[in-house]
Amino acid sequence: MATLNWRTINIDALDPESPANFDLSTLTPAVTPLSTADVQSLAGQIRQLLRGGDSQGALQGALENPPYGADEKGKEVHLATIIEILQSIRQADMSPILSQIYSAPGGTEALDVLMKYIYKGMAQTSGASTSRNITPQATGFSQIHARGGGEGGGQAMSVLLSWHEKLVEIAGPGCIVRVMTDRRTV
Amino acid sequence: MAPPEVHHLFHHPIADHSFSADRQTLAVARENVVDVFRRAGAKYTLQDELTGHDKTVTGVDIAPNSGKIVTCSQDRNAYVWEPTPEGWKPTLVLLRINRAATCVRWAPSETKFAVGSGARLIPVCYFEEEDNWWVSKHIKKPIRSTITAVAWHPNSVLLAAGSTDGHARVLSAFIKGVDARPEPSAWGERLPFNTVCGEFLNNTAGWIHSVAFSPSGNALAFAAHDSTLTVVYPSAPEEPPRAVLSISTQVLPFMSLVWSTESEIIAAGYNCEAYRLQGDENGWQLAGSLESKGPKGVQDSREESALNMFRQMDLKGNTKDDTKLNTVHQNTINTIRSFEEEGGHVTKISSSGVDGRVVVWTL
Repeated sequence: MATLNWRTINIDALDPESPANFDLSTLTPAVTPLSTADVQSLAGQIRQLLRGGDSQGALQGALENPPYGADEKGKEVHLATIIEILQSIRQADMSPILSQIYSAPGGTEALDVLMKYIYKGMAQTSGASTSRNITPQATGFSQIHARGGGEGGGQAMSVLLSWHEKLVEIAGPGCIVRVMTDRRTV
Repeated sequence: MAPPEVHHLFHHPIADHSFSADRQTLAVARENVVDVFRRAGAKYTLQDELTGHDKTVTGVDIAPNSGKIVTCSQDRNAYVWEPTPEGWKPTLVLLRINRAATCVRWAPSETKFAVGSGARLIPVCYFEEEDNWWVSKHIKKPIRSTITAVAWHPNSVLLAAGSTDGHARVLSAFIKGVDARPEPSAWGERLPFNTVCGEFLNNTAGWIHSVAFSPSGNALAFAAHDSTLTVVYPSAPEEPPRAVLSISTQVLPFMSLVWSTESEIIAAGYNCEAYRLQGDENGWQLAGSLESKGPKGVQDSREESALNMFRQMDLKGNTKDDTKLNTVHQNTINTIRSFEEEGGHVTKISSSGVDGRVVVWTL
């Protein structure tokens, strides 16, 4: 007993009233688990629509079935699908498509999902380009070189930024707040 | 529509405000004290200062009939202030909580009040004649996080509570010896203390800022940090509700809401202006802002004379002064309350916010 260090005892584990002792997942909305294969087959169907020229249908289909219950891999697959759709739509068509989705039943929900993917896409393109382009210098600060390499990410980013602008025009800042608040991540 | 009556009291955030029933007295939580204002003509002048809390006061409520003021603070205490000829006399309330108190509301019966707290429980406080002090009974289950808002049902037994765990709950706060046995309602028939009559979560599980029962008590509305407002219509005890309607708005989240009639809710928050929402069991929608911005814009443009324009250019390097919001409140609205009622309808509401203003609106 003498060797027991009192300060390292996890007192939360001993207190039945402690918030550490209950399952936090009961507080979040229930999501149904989804396998990566299911996400992939959905991605296949959506691509088919896209190839048929129905980009709005493809976008709507992708936004109505967000794989909240999938693992990281499945979520990446769906993100890639949505980014592909977003890049295939011309700038002039963005606003009409968004307002049509917004006025459809469940439209605000779909646009919230789109906002989640726009932010996730932004996080990913910047993450990928920084890890590729920034090399720590001996001087202690990082320097970005190979500007040309950064342009690839920059182009994806500019597409996402113009989508973001158009989306906020229609769904308002409430949409951004919902994405930040939502416990169901994509 | 009459223009809003604006009272700019000071340059501090107002956490909560409350008017007395005759609307002559206004109590406002300012930092560690509660300022009591008295109406003099068209203005409210500072009459008294209730000091006693050592930390920020988070809630204040004046009982409409007895005139007693209850305050609660982050110092984990609550006081009941009684008006006496010598001034306000405080009585400490035994809350027995180990975290900050966040909000407080008198029950309509005025024999008890509920305090929200960060200790994951709700002390329901009532007066013990024998010992001559206010004691509390704790509602504990199934609260999993800080309580941010409490609201009473008109029967003074049911209590709605909003929490940062994303749930709005309807609980029984029945205290033997204080309350009469309540009439059975759609929320429940037998209601011993701490009965959970309903637990509601919206889609995103954003935390709850405000809850309120409709005037009849047969519907519950709550606003959450995901910019939604949800209205729940219960069907029968122990059964799923008849309708749960969630409205996703385009504006920033609402901090406070009040029912004006059974089919209209006024909600306000981070957008610095109050909005009207209308609907019934079949659906709710945002009907628009309480402020009419049209005439105000015209006035603004008239003031921009050539002289003024050049003066602005000279002083600030720009022609338009864009440091002012075109809403009456210049910052987040924290609390809105019913100010005047007529035949069961709220005709005027009051709002207070981070900008130190209290505004009375005619609906």
